[in-house]
Amino acid sequence: MDDKRGRFEAQVLPHLDAAYRLARWLARSPADADDAVQEAILRAFRAFDALRGSDAKAWLLAIVRNCSSTARRREQRRAFEPLPEDGDAVAGEAMIATTPDPESAAVHRDDERTFDRLVASLSTEHREVLVLREIEDLDYREIATITNLPIGTVMSRLARARLALKARWLQELEAKPHAMP
Amino acid sequence: MQCPEALRVQAYFDGELDAVSAADVERHAEGCAECRALLGDLERMRTALRSELTDLRASPALRTRITAALNEESSARTAQRSTTARRTWRTPPFWVGAMSGIGASAVAAALVLLFFTPLLSKPLIDDLVGAHMRSLMPAHLIDVESTDKHTVKPWFAGHADVSPLVADFAAQGYRLIGGRADYLDHQRSAVVVYQHGGHVINVFSWAANGRSVPKSATRDGYHLLFWRVADLDYCAVSDTGWDELQGLVQLLTNLGSRDHPE
Repeated sequence: MDDKRGRFEAQVLPHLDAAYRLARWLARSPADADDAVQEAILRAFRAFDALRGSDAKAWLLAIVRNCSSTARRREQRRAFEPLPEDGDAVAGEAMIATTPDPESAAVHRDDERTFDRLVASLSTEHREVLVLREIEDLDYREIATITNLPIGTVMSRLARARLALKARWLQELEAKPHAMP
Repeated sequence: MQCPEALRVQAYFDGELDAVSAADVERHAEGCAECRALLGDLERMRTALRSELTDLRASPALRTRITAALNEESSARTAQRSTTARRTWRTPPFWVGAMSGIGASAVAAALVLLFFTPLLSKPLIDDLVGAHMRSLMPAHLIDVESTDKHTVKPWFAGHADVSPLVADFAAQGYRLIGGRADYLDHQRSAVVVYQHGGHVINVFSWAANGRSVPKSATRDGYHLLFWRVADLDYCAVSDTGWDELQGLVQLLTNLGSRDHPE
Protein backbone atom coordinates (compact mmCIF):
# COMPACT_ATOMS: atom_id res chain seq x y z
CA MET A 1 0.00 0.00 0.00
CA ASP A 2 1.51 3.33 -0.96
CA ASP A 3 2.01 6.19 1.40
CA LYS A 4 -0.85 8.29 0.07
CA ARG A 5 -3.30 5.48 0.57
CA GLY A 6 -2.07 4.95 4.13
CA ARG A 7 -2.42 8.64 4.99
CA PHE A 8 -5.84 8.75 3.36
CA GLU A 9 -7.05 5.81 5.42
CA ALA A 10 -5.71 7.36 8.60
CA GLN A 11 -7.03 10.89 8.03
CA VAL A 12 -10.19 10.54 5.99
CA LEU A 13 -11.71 7.10 6.44
CA PRO A 14 -12.39 7.59 10.18
CA HIS A 15 -15.10 10.00 9.00
CA LEU A 16 -16.84 7.42 6.84
CA ASP A 17 -19.78 7.03 9.23
CA ALA A 18 -20.28 10.80 9.34
CA ALA A 19 -20.11 10.86 5.54
CA TYR A 20 -22.71 8.12 5.38
CA ARG A 21 -25.03 9.85 7.85
CA LEU A 22 -24.94 13.11 5.88
CA ALA A 23 -25.46 11.27 2.58
CA ARG A 24 -28.31 9.31 4.13
CA TRP A 25 -30.07 12.52 5.15
CA LEU A 26 -29.57 14.09 1.75
CA ALA A 27 -30.36 11.06 -0.42
CA ARG A 28 -33.70 9.53 -1.16
CA SER A 29 -32.78 5.95 -0.39
CA PRO A 30 -30.04 3.98 1.38
CA ALA A 31 -28.79 2.78 -2.02
CA ASP A 32 -28.43 6.37 -3.27
CA ALA A 33 -26.60 7.24 -0.06
CA ASP A 34 -24.17 4.33 -0.57
CA ASP A 35 -23.48 5.46 -4.14
CA ALA A 36 -22.94 9.08 -3.12
CA VAL A 37 -20.54 8.05 -0.33
CA GLN A 38 -18.53 5.77 -2.58
CA GLU A 39 -18.22 8.47 -5.23
CA ALA A 40 -17.30 11.04 -2.60
CA ILE A 41 -14.56 8.83 -1.13
CA LEU A 42 -13.06 8.26 -4.57
CA ARG A 43 -13.13 11.97 -5.38
CA ALA A 44 -11.63 12.72 -1.98
CA PHE A 45 -8.84 10.23 -2.65
CA ARG A 46 -8.06 11.79 -6.02
CA ALA A 47 -8.00 15.27 -4.50
CA PHE A 48 -6.32 14.19 -1.27
CA ASP A 49 -3.05 16.00 -2.02
CA ALA A 50 -5.01 19.24 -1.98
CA LEU A 51 -6.27 18.70 1.57
CA ARG A 52 -4.44 21.38 3.48
CA GLY A 53 -3.73 20.73 7.12
CA SER A 54 -6.46 20.15 9.55
CA ASP A 55 -10.06 19.59 8.89
CA ALA A 56 -10.51 16.31 7.05
CA LYS A 57 -14.05 15.81 8.32
CA ALA A 58 -15.46 19.09 7.02
CA TRP A 59 -13.55 18.61 3.79
CA LEU A 60 -14.96 15.14 3.23
CA LEU A 61 -18.50 16.19 4.14
CA ALA A 62 -18.32 19.04 1.62
CA ILE A 63 -17.49 16.50 -1.07
CA VAL A 64 -20.28 14.21 0.11
CA ARG A 65 -22.70 17.09 -0.06
CA ASN A 66 -21.61 17.88 -3.60
CA CYS A 67 -21.97 14.27 -4.73
CA SER A 68 -25.39 14.07 -3.12
CA SER A 69 -26.68 17.20 -4.77
CA THR A 70 -25.28 16.10 -8.13
CA ALA A 71 -27.12 12.82 -7.75
CA ARG A 72 -30.29 14.61 -6.74
CA ARG A 73 -30.09 16.94 -9.71
CA ARG A 74 -29.56 14.01 -12.01
CA GLU A 75 -32.62 12.37 -10.60
CA GLN A 76 -34.68 15.52 -10.85
CA ARG A 77 -33.75 15.82 -14.51
CA ARG A 78 -34.97 12.31 -15.07
CA ALA A 79 -38.15 12.73 -13.06
CA PHE A 80 -39.16 16.22 -14.10
CA GLU A 81 -38.64 18.55 -16.98
CA PRO A 82 -35.00 19.52 -17.54
CA LEU A 83 -33.63 22.07 -15.12
CA PRO A 84 -31.77 25.09 -16.40
CA GLU A 85 -28.01 24.53 -16.37
CA ASP A 86 -26.60 25.66 -13.08
CA GLY A 87 -24.00 27.92 -14.65
CA ASP A 88 -24.05 30.29 -11.76
CA ALA A 89 -21.77 28.40 -9.41
CA VAL A 90 -21.76 31.26 -6.94
CA ALA A 91 -25.39 30.72 -6.09
CA GLY A 92 -24.61 27.38 -4.47
CA GLU A 93 -27.79 27.80 -2.51
CA ALA A 94 -29.95 27.55 -5.58
CA MET A 95 -28.92 24.01 -6.30
CA ILE A 96 -30.36 22.64 -3.10
CA ALA A 97 -33.32 24.94 -2.84
CA THR A 98 -35.59 23.10 -5.23
CA THR A 99 -35.70 19.56 -3.89
CA PRO A 100 -39.25 18.35 -4.27
CA ASP A 101 -41.42 16.58 -1.72
CA PRO A 102 -39.09 15.81 1.16
CA GLU A 103 -41.96 13.80 2.62
CA SER A 104 -41.25 10.94 0.26
CA ALA A 105 -37.95 10.32 1.99
CA ALA A 106 -39.81 9.87 5.24
CA VAL A 107 -41.86 7.03 3.84
CA HIS A 108 -38.78 4.83 3.81
CA ARG A 109 -38.07 5.41 7.44
CA ASP A 110 -39.11 3.63 10.54
CA ASP A 111 -42.46 4.92 11.69
CA GLU A 112 -41.70 4.40 15.34
CA ARG A 113 -38.95 7.00 15.37
CA THR A 114 -40.61 10.36 15.67
CA PHE A 115 -37.53 12.50 15.07
CA ASP A 116 -36.44 10.48 12.08
CA ARG A 117 -39.73 11.37 10.46
CA LEU A 118 -39.76 14.96 11.65
CA VAL A 119 -36.25 15.68 10.36
CA ALA A 120 -37.01 13.90 7.10
CA SER A 121 -40.02 16.15 6.61
CA LEU A 122 -37.89 19.32 6.73
CA SER A 123 -36.64 20.93 3.54
CA THR A 124 -33.20 19.74 2.39
CA GLU A 125 -31.55 23.00 3.31
CA HIS A 126 -32.98 22.97 6.82
CA ARG A 127 -32.26 19.29 7.29
CA GLU A 128 -28.67 19.67 6.25
CA VAL A 129 -27.67 22.44 8.67
CA LEU A 130 -29.58 20.78 11.49
CA VAL A 131 -27.89 17.41 10.96
CA LEU A 132 -24.44 18.98 10.64
CA ARG A 133 -24.94 20.94 13.86
CA GLU A 134 -26.82 18.52 16.08
CA ILE A 135 -25.72 15.10 14.90
CA GLU A 136 -22.21 15.75 13.63
CA ASP A 137 -21.59 18.46 16.24
CA LEU A 138 -19.83 20.79 13.81
CA ASP A 139 -19.40 24.48 14.56
CA TYR A 140 -20.82 27.31 12.45
CA ARG A 141 -17.58 27.85 10.59
CA GLU A 142 -17.31 24.21 9.57
CA ILE A 143 -20.94 24.16 8.49
CA ALA A 144 -20.34 27.33 6.45
CA THR A 145 -17.39 25.64 4.76
CA ILE A 146 -19.35 22.52 3.95
CA THR A 147 -22.47 24.24 2.68
CA ASN A 148 -20.57 27.04 0.96
CA LEU A 149 -22.66 29.65 2.77
CA PRO A 150 -21.69 32.73 4.76
CA ILE A 151 -21.70 32.14 8.52
CA GLY A 152 -24.57 34.58 8.98
CA THR A 153 -26.71 32.55 6.61
CA VAL A 154 -25.80 29.38 8.48
CA MET A 155 -26.99 30.98 11.71
CA SER A 156 -30.28 32.20 10.37
CA ARG A 157 -30.94 29.01 8.46
CA LEU A 158 -30.23 26.95 11.55
CA ALA A 159 -32.65 29.10 13.54
CA ARG A 160 -35.37 28.59 10.92
CA ALA A 161 -34.67 24.87 10.76
CA ARG A 162 -35.07 24.61 14.52
CA LEU A 163 -38.32 26.59 14.45
CA ALA A 164 -39.64 24.33 11.69
CA LEU A 165 -38.66 21.23 13.64
CA LYS A 166 -40.30 22.56 16.78
CA ALA A 167 -43.51 23.36 14.91
CA ARG A 168 -43.64 19.83 13.51
CA TRP A 169 -42.93 18.38 16.91
CA LEU A 170 -45.78 20.37 18.46
CA GLN A 171 -48.15 19.15 15.72
CA GLU A 172 -47.05 15.62 16.49
CA LEU A 173 -47.70 16.09 20.20
CA GLU A 174 -51.15 17.53 19.55
CA ALA A 175 -52.02 14.63 17.31
CA LYS A 176 -50.85 12.13 19.92
CA PRO A 177 -51.37 13.79 23.30
CA HIS A 178 -50.39 10.65 25.20
CA ALA A 179 -46.90 10.92 23.74
CA MET A 180 -46.25 14.14 25.65
CA PRO A 181 -42.73 13.94 27.13
CA MET B 1 -42.91 38.26 17.78
CA GLN B 2 -39.46 36.88 18.36
CA CYS B 3 -37.05 38.48 20.81
CA PRO B 4 -34.29 40.27 18.86
CA GLU B 5 -31.73 38.41 20.96
CA ALA B 6 -32.93 35.00 19.72
CA LEU B 7 -30.06 34.52 17.26
CA ARG B 8 -27.52 35.36 19.90
CA VAL B 9 -29.20 33.02 22.34
CA GLN B 10 -28.92 30.28 19.75
CA ALA B 11 -25.23 31.10 19.19
CA TYR B 12 -24.76 30.92 22.96
CA PHE B 13 -26.45 27.52 23.07
CA ASP B 14 -24.17 26.32 20.25
CA GLY B 15 -21.07 27.46 22.10
CA GLU B 16 -20.16 30.07 19.49
CA LEU B 17 -19.84 33.07 21.79
CA ASP B 18 -16.81 34.36 23.65
CA ALA B 19 -16.99 34.55 27.44
CA VAL B 20 -18.05 38.20 27.55
CA SER B 21 -20.93 37.82 25.08
CA ALA B 22 -21.96 34.57 26.74
CA ALA B 23 -22.25 36.31 30.12
CA ASP B 24 -24.26 39.02 28.34
CA VAL B 25 -26.72 36.48 26.98
CA GLU B 26 -27.05 34.77 30.35
CA ARG B 27 -27.94 38.08 31.96
CA HIS B 28 -30.47 38.76 29.21
CA ALA B 29 -32.09 35.34 29.54
CA GLU B 30 -32.59 35.86 33.28
CA GLY B 31 -34.96 38.68 32.47
CA CYS B 32 -36.49 37.36 29.23
CA ALA B 33 -38.98 34.53 29.55
CA GLU B 34 -39.06 34.01 25.79
CA CYS B 35 -35.33 33.37 25.58
CA ARG B 36 -35.41 31.08 28.60
CA ALA B 37 -38.10 29.07 26.85
CA LEU B 38 -36.02 29.05 23.67
CA LEU B 39 -33.03 27.63 25.54
CA GLY B 40 -35.28 24.92 26.96
CA ASP B 41 -36.60 24.04 23.48
CA LEU B 42 -33.11 23.93 21.99
CA GLU B 43 -31.93 21.62 24.74
CA ARG B 44 -34.92 19.26 24.45
CA MET B 45 -34.62 19.04 20.67
CA ARG B 46 -30.88 18.40 20.82
CA THR B 47 -31.36 15.61 23.38
CA ALA B 48 -34.07 13.99 21.30
CA LEU B 49 -32.11 14.26 18.04
CA ARG B 50 -28.91 12.92 19.52
CA SER B 51 -30.61 10.01 21.24
CA GLU B 52 -32.54 8.95 18.15
CA LEU B 53 -30.45 9.81 15.16
CA THR B 54 -26.80 9.06 15.84
CA ASP B 55 -26.85 5.33 15.24
CA LEU B 56 -26.62 5.38 11.44
CA ARG B 57 -23.41 3.67 10.27
CA ALA B 58 -21.88 2.84 6.92
CA SER B 59 -22.69 -0.81 6.31
CA PRO B 60 -19.95 -3.47 6.07
CA ALA B 61 -21.01 -3.96 2.44
CA LEU B 62 -20.37 -0.29 1.69
CA ARG B 63 -16.98 -0.45 3.42
CA THR B 64 -16.03 -3.43 1.29
CA ARG B 65 -17.13 -1.66 -1.88
CA ILE B 66 -15.09 1.39 -0.96
CA THR B 67 -11.96 -0.62 -0.21
CA ALA B 68 -12.29 -2.35 -3.57
CA ALA B 69 -12.80 0.97 -5.39
CA LEU B 70 -9.77 2.47 -3.66
CA ASN B 71 -7.64 -0.56 -4.59
CA GLU B 72 -8.67 -0.16 -8.21
CA GLU B 73 -8.02 3.58 -8.10
CA SER B 74 -4.56 3.11 -6.54
CA SER B 75 -3.44 0.62 -9.17
CA ALA B 76 -4.90 2.75 -12.00
CA ARG B 77 -2.94 5.73 -10.70
CA THR B 78 0.32 3.82 -10.55
CA ALA B 79 -0.15 2.62 -14.13
CA GLN B 80 -1.01 6.15 -15.31
CA ARG B 81 2.03 7.63 -13.60
CA SER B 82 4.43 5.27 -15.36
CA THR B 83 3.02 5.99 -18.84
CA THR B 84 3.21 9.74 -18.21
CA ALA B 85 6.83 9.35 -17.13
CA ARG B 86 7.70 7.40 -20.30
CA ARG B 87 6.02 9.93 -22.55
CA THR B 88 7.87 12.86 -21.00
CA TRP B 89 11.16 11.00 -21.42
CA ARG B 90 10.62 10.32 -25.08
CA THR B 91 9.62 13.84 -26.13
CA PRO B 92 12.61 16.20 -26.33
CA PRO B 93 12.02 19.74 -25.10
CA PHE B 94 10.75 21.93 -27.96
CA TRP B 95 13.74 24.30 -27.85
CA VAL B 96 16.16 21.48 -28.70
CA GLY B 97 14.42 21.26 -32.07
CA ALA B 98 14.36 25.04 -32.41
CA MET B 99 18.06 25.38 -31.62
CA SER B 100 19.28 22.55 -33.84
CA GLY B 101 18.41 24.33 -37.08
CA ILE B 102 19.85 27.69 -36.12
CA GLY B 103 23.53 28.46 -36.06
CA ALA B 104 23.74 32.15 -35.39
CA SER B 105 24.68 32.83 -31.81
CA ALA B 106 22.79 36.12 -31.74
CA VAL B 107 19.59 34.30 -32.55
CA ALA B 108 20.43 31.72 -29.90
CA ALA B 109 20.97 34.45 -27.35
CA ALA B 110 17.67 36.03 -28.29
CA LEU B 111 16.02 32.64 -27.92
CA VAL B 112 17.54 32.22 -24.49
CA LEU B 113 16.10 35.57 -23.47
CA LEU B 114 12.75 34.83 -25.00
CA PHE B 115 12.31 31.30 -23.84
CA PHE B 116 14.42 30.76 -20.76
CA THR B 117 12.76 33.35 -18.56
CA PRO B 118 9.39 31.65 -18.98
CA LEU B 119 11.01 28.26 -18.56
CA LEU B 120 12.56 29.27 -15.26
CA SER B 121 9.26 30.53 -13.93
CA LYS B 122 7.34 27.59 -15.31
CA PRO B 123 7.13 25.65 -12.02
CA LEU B 124 5.90 28.79 -10.30
CA ILE B 125 3.17 29.26 -12.90
CA ASP B 126 2.22 25.61 -12.58
CA ASP B 127 2.08 26.00 -8.81
CA LEU B 128 -0.07 29.11 -9.06
CA VAL B 129 -2.51 27.61 -11.53
CA GLY B 130 -2.62 24.41 -9.49
CA ALA B 131 -3.33 26.38 -6.32
CA HIS B 132 -6.02 28.39 -8.12
CA MET B 133 -7.71 25.23 -9.42
CA ARG B 134 -7.54 23.59 -6.00
CA SER B 135 -9.11 26.67 -4.47
CA LEU B 136 -12.14 26.22 -6.72
CA MET B 137 -12.87 22.82 -5.26
CA PRO B 138 -15.52 22.67 -2.58
CA ALA B 139 -14.44 24.04 0.79
CA HIS B 140 -11.03 25.19 -0.39
CA LEU B 141 -11.60 28.73 -1.48
CA ILE B 142 -11.55 30.56 1.78
CA ASP B 143 -10.01 30.03 5.21
CA VAL B 144 -11.22 33.30 6.61
CA GLU B 145 -14.48 34.50 5.21
CA SER B 146 -15.02 38.23 5.34
CA THR B 147 -15.71 41.25 3.23
CA ASP B 148 -13.87 43.35 5.79
CA LYS B 149 -10.19 43.99 5.20
CA HIS B 150 -9.75 44.57 8.92
CA THR B 151 -10.70 40.94 9.48
CA VAL B 152 -8.76 39.42 6.62
CA LYS B 153 -5.46 41.24 7.07
CA PRO B 154 -4.90 40.38 10.75
CA TRP B 155 -5.82 36.77 10.00
CA PHE B 156 -2.79 36.48 7.74
CA ALA B 157 -0.53 37.45 10.62
CA GLY B 158 -1.05 34.05 12.20
CA HIS B 159 -1.41 31.96 9.05
CA ALA B 160 0.92 33.24 6.34
CA ASP B 161 4.50 34.44 6.12
CA VAL B 162 3.67 37.76 4.51
CA SER B 163 1.23 40.58 5.08
CA PRO B 164 -0.19 41.64 1.71
CA LEU B 165 -2.35 44.57 0.67
CA VAL B 166 -5.99 43.82 1.39
CA ALA B 167 -8.84 46.02 0.22
CA ASP B 168 -12.41 45.65 -0.88
CA PHE B 169 -13.31 47.05 -4.29
CA ALA B 170 -16.98 46.11 -4.28
CA ALA B 171 -17.85 49.52 -5.68
CA GLN B 172 -15.65 48.80 -8.70
CA GLY B 173 -17.07 45.30 -9.11
CA TYR B 174 -14.36 43.35 -7.28
CA ARG B 175 -15.84 42.12 -4.05
CA LEU B 176 -13.47 40.95 -1.32
CA ILE B 177 -14.78 37.58 -0.12
CA GLY B 178 -11.98 36.36 2.11
CA GLY B 179 -8.47 35.05 2.53
CA ARG B 180 -6.54 31.84 2.52
CA ALA B 181 -3.01 30.60 3.14
CA ASP B 182 -1.38 28.41 0.46
CA TYR B 183 2.02 26.79 0.47
CA LEU B 184 3.89 28.24 -2.50
CA ASP B 185 7.54 28.73 -3.37
CA HIS B 186 8.64 27.22 -0.02
CA GLN B 187 6.63 29.64 2.05
CA ARG B 188 3.12 30.18 3.32
CA SER B 189 1.82 32.66 0.82
CA ALA B 190 -1.18 34.84 1.54
CA VAL B 191 -4.08 34.63 -0.88
CA VAL B 192 -6.75 37.30 -1.03
CA VAL B 193 -9.90 36.12 -2.75
CA TYR B 194 -12.11 38.39 -4.84
CA GLN B 195 -15.29 37.79 -6.70
CA HIS B 196 -15.93 39.51 -9.98
CA GLY B 197 -19.27 38.64 -11.55
CA GLY B 198 -19.34 34.86 -11.62
CA HIS B 199 -15.54 34.58 -11.50
CA VAL B 200 -13.18 34.02 -8.63
CA ILE B 201 -9.89 35.93 -8.66
CA ASN B 202 -7.14 34.66 -6.37
CA VAL B 203 -4.46 37.23 -5.57
CA PHE B 204 -1.37 35.39 -4.34
CA SER B 205 1.46 37.16 -2.58
CA TRP B 206 4.81 35.96 -1.34
CA ALA B 207 8.15 37.39 -0.32
CA ALA B 208 10.13 38.24 -3.45
CA ASN B 209 13.25 36.11 -3.36
CA GLY B 210 15.19 37.65 -6.22
CA ARG B 211 13.75 35.23 -8.72
CA SER B 212 12.46 36.97 -11.82
CA VAL B 213 8.80 36.55 -12.56
CA PRO B 214 7.07 37.10 -15.89
CA LYS B 215 4.67 40.00 -16.37
CA SER B 216 1.87 37.75 -17.41
CA ALA B 217 1.14 34.20 -18.46
CA THR B 218 -1.70 32.00 -19.62
CA ARG B 219 -1.93 28.38 -18.64
CA ASP B 220 -4.80 25.91 -19.15
CA GLY B 221 -7.11 28.81 -19.95
CA TYR B 222 -6.28 30.70 -16.76
CA HIS B 223 -4.73 34.15 -16.93
CA LEU B 224 -1.96 35.23 -14.58
CA LEU B 225 -0.77 38.79 -13.99
CA PHE B 226 2.32 39.48 -11.89
CA TRP B 227 3.46 42.64 -10.17
CA ARG B 228 5.62 43.70 -7.28
CA VAL B 229 4.95 46.12 -4.44
CA ALA B 230 7.75 46.82 -1.98
CA ASP B 231 9.31 43.41 -1.28
CA LEU B 232 6.28 41.28 -2.14
CA ASP B 233 5.54 39.56 -5.42
CA TYR B 234 1.88 39.41 -6.33
CA CYS B 235 0.05 37.31 -8.86
CA ALA B 236 -3.63 37.52 -9.77
CA VAL B 237 -5.06 34.31 -11.24
CA SER B 238 -8.48 33.85 -12.78
CA ASP B 239 -10.44 32.51 -15.70
CA THR B 240 -11.86 35.97 -16.23
CA GLY B 241 -10.75 38.08 -19.23
CA TRP B 242 -7.50 40.04 -19.37
CA ASP B 243 -9.23 43.39 -19.07
CA GLU B 244 -11.18 42.36 -15.99
CA LEU B 245 -8.04 40.96 -14.38
CA GLN B 246 -6.09 44.06 -15.32
CA GLY B 247 -8.81 46.18 -13.69
CA LEU B 248 -8.26 44.59 -10.29
CA VAL B 249 -4.48 44.71 -10.62
CA GLN B 250 -4.70 48.41 -11.46
CA LEU B 251 -6.75 49.09 -8.32
CA LEU B 252 -4.30 47.12 -6.20
CA THR B 253 -1.18 48.75 -7.64
CA ASN B 254 -2.69 52.22 -7.21
CA LEU B 255 -3.31 51.33 -3.61
CA GLY B 256 0.18 49.90 -3.28
CA SER B 257 1.87 53.04 -4.56
CA ARG B 258 -0.15 55.09 -2.03
CA ASP B 259 0.87 52.77 0.82
CA HIS B 260 4.49 52.59 -0.23
CA PRO B 261 5.56 55.99 -1.58
CA GLU B 262 8.72 55.58 -3.58
